[in-house]
Amino acid sequence: MAEITLVEAVNLAMAYEMSVDPDVIVMGEDVATNGGVFRATLGLLDKFGPERVLDTPLAESMIAGLAVGMAARGLKPVAEFQFMGFIYPALDEIINHASRMRNRTRGRLTCPLVFRTPFGAGIHAPEHHSESTEAYFAHTPGLRVVIPSSPSRAYGLLLASIRDPDPVVFLEPSRLYRYAKQEVKDDGKALPLDVCFTLRSGDDVTLVTWGAMVKETLAAANTLQQAGISAEVIDVATIKPLDINTILASVEKTGRCIVIHEAPLTCGVGAEILAQVVEKALFSLKAPPERVTGFDTIVPYAKLEKYYIPSEKRIIDAVNRLMEYA
Amino acid sequence: MKIFYLPDLGEGLAEAEIREWYIKEGDVVKVDQPLVSMETAKAVVDVPSPYAGKITQLHGKANEIVKTGAPLISYETDEVVADKGSVVGKLETSEKKWDDGDVIIGGAKTKSTTIKAMPAARVLAQQLNVDLSQVTATGPQGLITANDVKQFIDKSPASALTGETESLRGVRRVMAQIMAQSHKEVVPVTIVEDVDLTDLPPKSDLTTLILKAIVAGVKAEPALNVWFDGKTLERKMFDEVHIGLAVDSAEGLFVPVIKNAEAKSDQELRQTVDEYKKSVADRSVSPKDLQGATITLSNFGMIAGRYATPIIVPPAVAILGCGRSRDAVIARDGKMVVGKIMPLSLTFDHRAVTGGEATRFLGAVIKNLQQK
Repeated sequence: MAEITLVEAVNLAMAYEMSVDPDVIVMGEDVATNGGVFRATLGLLDKFGPERVLDTPLAESMIAGLAVGMAARGLKPVAEFQFMGFIYPALDEIINHASRMRNRTRGRLTCPLVFRTPFGAGIHAPEHHSESTEAYFAHTPGLRVVIPSSPSRAYGLLLASIRDPDPVVFLEPSRLYRYAKQEVKDDGKALPLDVCFTLRSGDDVTLVTWGAMVKETLAAANTLQQAGISAEVIDVATIKPLDINTILASVEKTGRCIVIHEAPLTCGVGAEILAQVVEKALFSLKAPPERVTGFDTIVPYAKLEKYYIPSEKRIIDAVNRLMEYA
Repeated sequence: MKIFYLPDLGEGLAEAEIREWYIKEGDVVKVDQPLVSMETAKAVVDVPSPYAGKITQLHGKANEIVKTGAPLISYETDEVVADKGSVVGKLETSEKKWDDGDVIIGGAKTKSTTIKAMPAARVLAQQLNVDLSQVTATGPQGLITANDVKQFIDKSPASALTGETESLRGVRRVMAQIMAQSHKEVVPVTIVEDVDLTDLPPKSDLTTLILKAIVAGVKAEPALNVWFDGKTLERKMFDEVHIGLAVDSAEGLFVPVIKNAEAKSDQELRQTVDEYKKSVADRSVSPKDLQGATITLSNFGMIAGRYATPIIVPPAVAILGCGRSRDAVIARDGKMVVGKIMPLSLTFDHRAVTGGEATRFLGAVIKNLQQK
């Protein structure tokens, strides 16, 4: 069992599934010869050949369109977009075709594809390489939005996403790509989609987050633990459809809820989560729920990035505000 | 095989000239070993080897120009070169281990322990210092409502006593409002003193004497016979002395006003007092008789009590309370004698009246009473 990074886990999951399922195709800009901009597809060309690992032109709309066509005809394409900020030319294919193929054909055709893309700030890149626009996709019926936050979850959730018969937008937190290593067993075992992962159990406050913000949230939970505040940390993992029941059960226990996400505040996924918490767990709330998020601005350049990404301190400050309500 | 491409040796240099090779094809080199001396538009620099391995080809001869990014040297090497992959940005790398702890797929298996309560109920419980776990919930699905919190308070031991609740009406209601208003506004100080009435002739009309003493006190110290406006900080002095007389009744407290007490004879004063007592008792007292006091007398000693802290009703600034007079042992000329003592309590509004003015007034009242 090897200790690998998150990006290596992504690579491992694709390699595993390609080895057991000849229908799985990997495609995207520079994914074959070059091994991908972050080397997520490194070595796949050598192992599986140019018919299954395809370098595409620099045309995201075409990448998505090709993937939709392949998927509708029974292949299982895993298409990479180099950065989330490059995905928008493909939205027409994703929203108008991939997400509604099953519905439009009354179930005759499905779209078993995965759109992979790195996302999020923290790697000192230009702004359109740094954004977190998961809410666009979560808002679209027919799309599954999955976000791993550790090597093991990247491996297990990507396997599940490739095997899922419907389109999955698989968002990989780039600042966690090589941040740390974890032992991951390459056994082809998928993790369940559409369910949260409770990373820490606690009694005083529920911290709901996903992707790269899991890092700061766990750090905050550890600091709070030393101050005698016990935080439950939930990694939502599948943003859409949302496993609200796990969140509600936790909030009913703790009575306090904070959602942490890197994306801007307005209309972020945190708004949906807190709306449901207020609708369904209002009477368990001891304190007004809060969101700790990025700002309603374009992600700044490298020097200001650290002020944009919600810090451990901002999370702790929010928890302390909620703890004032006994 | 690895190819070493000529890096940019300055800032945005497009090319460089080979001055001298330090190695030749077939040499085995180490990392950082100087390979070649290159001359750029800015300087001559030695280029170190990025790899360890055997040199298989030099892509150029001395004095030839090489473009930045063009092949410079080919290696034969087994070295696996660390490949960070990123063409844009910098990824944080570390040897840190992911500490995933005990990850639970889904939620932690714990039963809900929080008390379900309406937000309004929580606020109310906090205000009333009620422990929500003690409250019986009547809302849907075991929800505590604001009403449940009120019910809990009503059922608490303090509320268990029987007794009827009545709304205050009329004079009693006005009293409640006026007293609360006074308490909010006035800065009261009360001074007490005994007056020796031993030498007073028997059957003297004490109430009339006190009214006259107040007039004498006001003459000595007019600052107590004023109206004070706390908002504008204005005081209005009066030549007339309109004395409010606190009269107790079953309905509540009445304070009819003896107008122009300074101009009234003993007999007129007594007559006015008697009329007011009657009109208060049969509720015939006219509203205009209840207004305009410049100073007030509370003769509570007629019932019981020695000293008090009488309450001033703004805009007046002083009220004199007379306690019950009694026989007492008094020191006089070095001897103990049994005499008659009446306790006085003067409350003044310290916003408008100084302590000196108040005590001079009280002294003048006492002196006047003792001259009789």
